[in-house]
Amino acid sequence: MIEFQQLTRTYGDFTAVHPLSLEIRQGEVFGFLGPNGAGKTTTIRMMMGILVPSGGRALINGLDCHSERALVQRHVGYLPDNPIYYDFLRGREILQFVAEMHGMGRREAAQQAVRMLAEFGLEEVVDEFAVNYSMGMKKKLGLACALIHDPQVLILDEPINGLDPRAAREVQDRLRQAAASGKTIFMSTHLLDMAEKVCTRVGIIHRGELTATGTLEELRERVNQNVSLEEVFLKVTEETAAP
Amino acid sequence: MNVPARTGAAPLWRSTSLLIRLRLRRLANAFIAGSNKKPGDKTRTGNPGKKSSKIVLYLAMPMMLFIFGAMTANSVLNLHGALDPPGSFWITVEFSTALTIGIAFLLFVLWLASLLVNIGSGELAKSEWDLEWLITLPIRSDTLLWARLAERSIVNPSGAIALIPACAAIAWYSGYRWAAPLIGVLAAWPMLLLAALVRTLIDTGLRLRMSAAQLRNLHAVISVMSIITMYLAISIGLKGKSEFMLGIAATMPDWLLYTPMGLTVRAINERDVADAALLVLALIAEVAVILWLGVQVLRHQLRNGVVSGGARDAERKTVTGDPAEPIRTSWLKLTAVHRRELALLRRDRNFLVQSLVLPLLIVGGQILLGTSGVASTMWTNPNVLASVAFGLAAYSLSMSAFQTLNSEGQALWLLYTFPCSIEEVLKDKAKLWGVLTLFYPLVLFAIGAFVAPSIGWTFLGAMLTALLGIPIYAFIAVALGVFGSNPLEQQPNQKVKPAYVYLYMSLSGLYIYAIVTPQPVQRLIFMVLSMLLAAALWQKARDQLGYLLDPDASPPPRVSTSDGLIAAMLFFVAQAVAAAVIIGRGRVTGAAVLFAFAIGGAVTYALMRYVYARTRTEGVPRILGDTNLPLTGIAVGLLAGAVGVVYLYTLDALHLLETAMREGKSYVSLGLWTLPLALVAAPLFEEFIFRGLIFGGLRRSFGLWPAALASAALFAILHPAFSILPVFVLGVCAAFVYERSRSLLAPMIVHAVYNAVVIGAQSFLL
Repeated sequence: MIEFQQLTRTYGDFTAVHPLSLEIRQGEVFGFLGPNGAGKTTTIRMMMGILVPSGGRALINGLDCHSERALVQRHVGYLPDNPIYYDFLRGREILQFVAEMHGMGRREAAQQAVRMLAEFGLEEVVDEFAVNYSMGMKKKLGLACALIHDPQVLILDEPINGLDPRAAREVQDRLRQAAASGKTIFMSTHLLDMAEKVCTRVGIIHRGELTATGTLEELRERVNQNVSLEEVFLKVTEETAAP
Repeated sequence: MNVPARTGAAPLWRSTSLLIRLRLRRLANAFIAGSNKKPGDKTRTGNPGKKSSKIVLYLAMPMMLFIFGAMTANSVLNLHGALDPPGSFWITVEFSTALTIGIAFLLFVLWLASLLVNIGSGELAKSEWDLEWLITLPIRSDTLLWARLAERSIVNPSGAIALIPACAAIAWYSGYRWAAPLIGVLAAWPMLLLAALVRTLIDTGLRLRMSAAQLRNLHAVISVMSIITMYLAISIGLKGKSEFMLGIAATMPDWLLYTPMGLTVRAINERDVADAALLVLALIAEVAVILWLGVQVLRHQLRNGVVSGGARDAERKTVTGDPAEPIRTSWLKLTAVHRRELALLRRDRNFLVQSLVLPLLIVGGQILLGTSGVASTMWTNPNVLASVAFGLAAYSLSMSAFQTLNSEGQALWLLYTFPCSIEEVLKDKAKLWGVLTLFYPLVLFAIGAFVAPSIGWTFLGAMLTALLGIPIYAFIAVALGVFGSNPLEQQPNQKVKPAYVYLYMSLSGLYIYAIVTPQPVQRLIFMVLSMLLAAALWQKARDQLGYLLDPDASPPPRVSTSDGLIAAMLFFVAQAVAAAVIIGRGRVTGAAVLFAFAIGGAVTYALMRYVYARTRTEGVPRILGDTNLPLTGIAVGLLAGAVGVVYLYTLDALHLLETAMREGKSYVSLGLWTLPLALVAAPLFEEFIFRGLIFGGLRRSFGLWPAALASAALFAILHPAFSILPVFVLGVCAAFVYERSRSLLAPMIVHAVYNAVVIGAQSFLL
């Protein structure tokens, strides 16, 4: 479903993402873990066609994420780490706009937008300008934008970062629900307990290099028996930190 | 361990210098960003690594200073003429009281104009991120306020441009010669401090009191006021336009002498050192008192903290009555993008004023203040009316269509999540603005048609040309805006790259020629050129779209239509230069023309190939390829030649040939030198440019027919008028052959055969 083929990104002489090859099958919930500045967001932005790979390519559904972006986006929902919205537009209007851009009719888009916002517990702020939303509301609105066209693939950058415990739980439940309905989810996070609860498989990226992939059990085996993901994470990122 | 106790806050001078240095560092970083990146640079900079040129800025600043200096000098002369008794010997070094009051009034108007421009160029409703941050540092808040005033008095470009040359001009007329600029800087500073105070009172203080919506409206009003005041200030220095302001200056009261502006003028003009020192002291004391009072007001304003509420836009409108807006079906087919843009325009007063009201004021002001008499001839001369209408629309486009990406701003990421290309969204916006900006021209033409004694072909022609130009320029504006805007930039004044705005403005200026030219053929030429230019720029912009949010990747270089246009221009310039050098004052001979043509062509060809090799461009046209199709070339050449011959015989039968030959330059007049020119040089170089670059470039974005027709149209209009038709046919034929062969040999043969046939026929006929 999602495939990286030697995906590379450099900024000048700085290599943000070293050649990265990875395949994620349909229905997987893949957690992309790594410390700050490891290259998680760079990778995700390359998947969204926002950044251009310096080498290799990212494929979704067999389509190139850069050259065939518009086709890819038909089946992809995206939530950035810090969603910013248009000034002077209400939450409902933004969601309706997104739905219309995904090809929905105007009336259908309006109804769908109101329904989604109610589902996400935003019915009280439907008519408030979205720039006034709190961080949590913005993330929820972003998630609504990502889900409104019922995509096959969800790409989420730090989906529960900055959310309160209740909102975080709601988002996690929603993601599990989406996974159960057969969606493929690729999400970056550095919140390990979230990864432990939701992900079927994780990859740890450190200094732009994928240092470990596998199910949680496989990773635990690799380091030691019966330790938490946190220990695995610290161990893996420490090993490669040494020269 | 005896650590010196660091209690309390940083002292005033220290925090002030830190703040000023921080601001200057930011300015410097913004100024040199992108232009100082070395190839081997390993550091990861926050600046976008894409190249940008700041040359316009370097040139514009001194020019502005000079223009304003000259303008104030004129204003002082006008004031003297109006306020001093006639006949008095005027460069007396000592100003009369009336003149001093007049000049103080001038300074006041300039001060006000620069202040309003300064406030208007920022964004009032956006919270001031740096104050919010600085207040968390261990600096006492009134120290911070003083430091902010000092910083803003130094870093204030519009104030510096308006006031320093003005004070320098006053010093010049007071008898200081070359010391005048220095005195200008010193004398302007107190006024700049006051400007900083008022600006801070408005943008820091008022922000806490007013809601975001009110602030937007206030900002819109200030933008409008700033333009009007600026024009009033400028009008004082213009001949024949200054009566209104001079009249006001004459009624100014005497107490103006004791204001900071009056004291400044008097201090500069006073010859007695002791008196001058006294005046300077009075000025300093007065400014100090005003500043102190201002800071007290500011402290009062800030007593409850530096941010209001916490919401960026405090407008909490809770319309809960009807959740889903009633959907109106309209006869206009509006896309989601159109509706969003219109909603923004309706709600954002500032955007509305910037894109639709300011252009009217600015162009209107230019016309009223200009010396060309446009305001009076506009209603009698349709060409002038059409030019004004087009200029108004073009200006409006620079504030709207040009800003397409900037109006997306930080929310640009959303466009990347949609299953449609960003080009489609931009096209939608270009269409929308192309239609919206037709409004003013249509109103003007309606009035023009009502006022005009009769509506003739000139009126209709000029009107049509102007109206057709507007959608074309909407596309040009959007395309240039892709290069000329920084949508992710936080600072409003950094959002636009001035070089591209000037480029857009000069391109719009070119189109005015299409409107005023009396010859329909030239009008046609200009319209074809503009459309081709729009296509070329759009193509360049489209290549860029996948890379908009990427800080340093750029699209791989590919042959584009714009390369072809550049090459065509280069070819003509190089040819003209070579001809001028070779022919000098001598006679025009066939050999000279051939050599000039060959040199021009060779220079263009070599330069383009060199640039392509350097940038490793893909898709450079080749002369020989896998399929050369020479026989097809000959056949199609004969076909095109046949069309040419039929055309020639038709002209001859209508007895038009001889006059046409006399008017246009013809190969035949050059004797035997014609043969190498027409059979080798012309096919070689012209096919490279017109088929290889222009047709090839267009073909990348358009279908076969549009690309062939457009490239042939350009090819044709660059030939003598009487041969436009057959050459157009030749262009289309050559393009089709090139499409088949993918190498330039075949179209070159078409061109050579055509020339041979037509020249043969011409020599036979004459």
